[in-house]
Amino acid sequence: MPAEKDEAKEPRARPRLIIFMASFLVSHSTLFSVVCCIAGLIALLLLPILAKSTYISENALMPGSANPVFSGQDVSEASRLVKDITETQKMGKTTGIEIQRLIIQRMADVGAEVYYHKFQSQSNQFHPFRFFSCDSNSAVTESNSNTSNGLNTVGIIRAPRGDGKEAIVLVTPYNSEYVKLNDALSLGLGFSIFSHLSRVSWLAKDILWLAADSRYGEYSSVSAWLKDYHNPVFFSSENVDANVTHDKDFLNMENKNMLNGRNVDVFKRAGTMAAAMVFKVGEAMERDPRDILTIYAEASNGQMPNLDLINVVHYLAVHRQGFRVNIGKLASLVNSAWLNLVGQILEWLGNLAKNLNPKWNFGISSADYAEGAATVASSMYHQALGVPTGSHGAFRDYQVDAITFSFSSRFYLNNENMQSSFILRGGRLIEGVIRSVNNLLEKFHQSFFLYMMTAPNKFVSVGVYMIGFALLALPLPVVAASLFLNHKATGFTGTEEAKIAFGSWQWLYAAKTVLMIDLWALIASLMPYFISQIPNISPTESTLLWVALSVSILAVLYVILGSPYSHSAQIGALLIVPMCLVVRPLKKHMQGALILRALSLVCNLVMVVIGFPPAALLLMKGFSEGFEGVGIGAVWEVAEFLWVWNSATYLYVFLVHLPCWVLCIHILLHP
Amino acid sequence: MARPSQVAIDNFISFTGSTEVAAIQKLECPVLNSGSCDCTPRTSMVRPWILLLLLLLAISPPSHSSTVHNNNWAVLVCTSRFWFNYRHMANTLSLYRTVKRLGIPDERIILMLADDMACNARNSYPAQVFNNENHMLNLYGDNVEVDYRGYEVTVENFLRVLTGRHETAVPRSKRLLSDEGSHILVYMTGHGGDEFLKFQDNEELQSHDLADAVKQMKEKHRFKELLIMVDTCQAATLFSQLQSPGVLAIGSSKKGENSYSHHLDSDIGVSVVDRFTYYTLAFFEKLNMYSNASLSSLFNSYDSHLLMSTASYREDLYRRPLSEVPVTNFFGSVMKTFHTDFAYTGFSMEPEAHISLVSETDSRRTLGSENAQTEAANHNAKDNCPFHAWLKVLEDKLDNENAEKLVLYGLGSMVLLLAISTLLSV
Repeated sequence: MPAEKDEAKEPRARPRLIIFMASFLVSHSTLFSVVCCIAGLIALLLLPILAKSTYISENALMPGSANPVFSGQDVSEASRLVKDITETQKMGKTTGIEIQRLIIQRMADVGAEVYYHKFQSQSNQFHPFRFFSCDSNSAVTESNSNTSNGLNTVGIIRAPRGDGKEAIVLVTPYNSEYVKLNDALSLGLGFSIFSHLSRVSWLAKDILWLAADSRYGEYSSVSAWLKDYHNPVFFSSENVDANVTHDKDFLNMENKNMLNGRNVDVFKRAGTMAAAMVFKVGEAMERDPRDILTIYAEASNGQMPNLDLINVVHYLAVHRQGFRVNIGKLASLVNSAWLNLVGQILEWLGNLAKNLNPKWNFGISSADYAEGAATVASSMYHQALGVPTGSHGAFRDYQVDAITFSFSSRFYLNNENMQSSFILRGGRLIEGVIRSVNNLLEKFHQSFFLYMMTAPNKFVSVGVYMIGFALLALPLPVVAASLFLNHKATGFTGTEEAKIAFGSWQWLYAAKTVLMIDLWALIASLMPYFISQIPNISPTESTLLWVALSVSILAVLYVILGSPYSHSAQIGALLIVPMCLVVRPLKKHMQGALILRALSLVCNLVMVVIGFPPAALLLMKGFSEGFEGVGIGAVWEVAEFLWVWNSATYLYVFLVHLPCWVLCIHILLHP
Repeated sequence: MARPSQVAIDNFISFTGSTEVAAIQKLECPVLNSGSCDCTPRTSMVRPWILLLLLLLAISPPSHSSTVHNNNWAVLVCTSRFWFNYRHMANTLSLYRTVKRLGIPDERIILMLADDMACNARNSYPAQVFNNENHMLNLYGDNVEVDYRGYEVTVENFLRVLTGRHETAVPRSKRLLSDEGSHILVYMTGHGGDEFLKFQDNEELQSHDLADAVKQMKEKHRFKELLIMVDTCQAATLFSQLQSPGVLAIGSSKKGENSYSHHLDSDIGVSVVDRFTYYTLAFFEKLNMYSNASLSSLFNSYDSHLLMSTASYREDLYRRPLSEVPVTNFFGSVMKTFHTDFAYTGFSMEPEAHISLVSETDSRRTLGSENAQTEAANHNAKDNCPFHAWLKVLEDKLDNENAEKLVLYGLGSMVLLLAISTLLSV
């Protein structure tokens, strides 16, 4: 050690501060890790207080600077379309494409370029992972007989004086098999905005309106369209012919693919997408004095749209159109007793600080705290799960900022007057957002991409929430260092270990264990793909098969590679903080006080049970939904779910968490 | 350049000349006031004085104020691009319109616009620019000559325009062809900060750059007086480094203050004018080119409550009292002019003599006597041409000698010269 050398040379000289601090931390590693873990937890609990108010940081946006001109005339367009759709519905002609044909006719009437986009929805399958990107290679999907077809309708308004390099996308998902009033209203809203925009003179970006046929799910239709949008298929005669014949079968119409002298099967494009908005009309919600706008922003794997986009929508909705903005929160947490207790403590502390010094004004009421905590928890949950909260997630895979917002009226929308005032305000909001985004000169880049919301107008940026995580993770290297030093100190006194240490190849054994377990984890994580190939298998059977196979492979690997040396294996297993910090070999702790021993044992066992991902999942499900309905099959379903959505959580669980857990077991059983 | 209707005088207040000049005036004035045509013998008495003065002028450092204000230039710069900076272009175009209305011709206005808002796709009034939400006045009408536009508006080009150091290919219409009799208005608007002004969102003009350019202009006799008007945040910091005499500067805000836009046009969806410029324009809208409003009345018209910032000006480099300088000296092309009947203005001495002449006679002069006056001036002008003066002196010297003798001597010396040169060449 350099410190020792220094002391040897100049016995009186004090060791350098950083070395002194490091050795102090290592020697008090237990205390240090306890303090850090508690501080980290407190930092996480304080997030709702540390949240800042949102602000629009891109100058070019200028939301609300122009008066909306969306008028009653546009609303009447919407009402007409809604009426037509409901009548078509009543006549029972919804065999296939009546609604689509209606929409495309209307779009063509306002002078837009229109086309049908036919797509095949992907069945739930384990497919190769795609992270943060689309796979251009799988653009040509094999035409399985069991895939189901959907038909999107797309209209493009070219900006009259724009350069055609950028576009804004509007998406209205609707179920084409049975169009409910909500869906009809959102189509009406979408169309009225579209027709309004075809008449305005200020467009600098093209407008794309995608009426997404979401009978097989909103996400799949939007992502299929986006994939085709971004992967142009260059001319190949076979494909075209095949498509045309297929279309004719599907659309059930001969020579009708021409509309106003234009082929409506040709895929047309506008420029790169500046932003996308998915909007729909939700169910009526009474109990609230104002109409509600719910914003969904989380895309796959914790990606978020730029905060400015949310800010613009929030600003226009609240300050111009008088909506109440909601964002997702874990409703069960709002009323939870202990969260309220924490809130009350913080409120009391805030008041105390205020009494001491009126300038210290950081307290918030306990109700606000509970709201904020529930919202941030939901934000964290959705980002960690890695599954998008709506079809806007498909856009984020192409680096397009997108959000979904759903309007809910405070009245039932059967009344025509209610409908029109509702559509008027919704239309003005969307027009305002489009005009604001239209002002953009560059991609969204000014505001945050990594943040969590604590309220519609409050956020925690990455710089703040990382503090808590850093504090939680900090003990790991310190404890590892202290373990390493302790081992070194004891290694030379022991006889058997000294021999191994002498050869200085001891790390190889540990490395071998870690490698072996990681290898096993990789195999275990890929196994579902092969299991899913077995036909007619229930989730429970799949799970059991999966577990059995995994365990047997682990055993085989153990036998092959032999029982490895494992004390410093903990260095590899840093990521699961409490589990790794508590775990001790069972036999080593047999000496010492009985209570301590028992405590340690209990802690270890509890951690081991909780740390096993399937067990943790089942426990969580049990607590939230009751233990009756929980079966082992749930594990399979969740794994499939995560895989289908390309969630990085799946990789984390199987490539990091599970090996760590196995290593901990390994340490527990260490002789 | 001089309007016939505005025969006037230059005042001598700013003249820094020595007592000799005053003496000349005293000497000359009575003579010329007589208005007689046969004044040549008497003026010849003054010749030695003039020669002496010429000598003095040659020795003394050049002084700008020795020239009269005889032309006006304006450099109007909008430094920022992007749609949301619409108001900066509107500011500049409003000023352009104002100075044009007050008489500065297009060829003496260098208009620099960093972006084209009129043709921006976001503009709901294509090819029009407004500075007020009432949309009464289209600033981008038929007759707008933009000299530097888009990416041509750079710090480099701006400094080149000021200092006149252009590449040879740059046409005359894009040059500031001012001289030492010029009054120049430099108006700049954009986004700025402490001692800088942003150009095009990617480079900055610093106060040192500006001061250096102005100093170069001064040394190259490119202006007589310069008014720098800046509408940006912390505008007053931009001219803190100036040190050239004859420069007057006014900015929309002090150090640490922002300048704000005046109002938003909710049809176009952007702010259309800045406060400082708005109130400047409000002041000028009441004026025409014959108005007598002084610079101090302009400067005092800024109300810091309305501006939401403190308009501050710097006059320590400027010699004339602001209350005696009409705003049209900078914002218009109205100047005290006088008739010059000789073609060349290269000699800086000449106008002064005449000015004093006209200044004395001005009050008494009637329309009828104008012709006679002009003739007298014409006659004087011939005499006063320096070459003629030397010739005259020579003639006077040789008056008594025999002309033939002179010719003979001359021929003799030429033969001698010829002989020597042939000798040398052989």
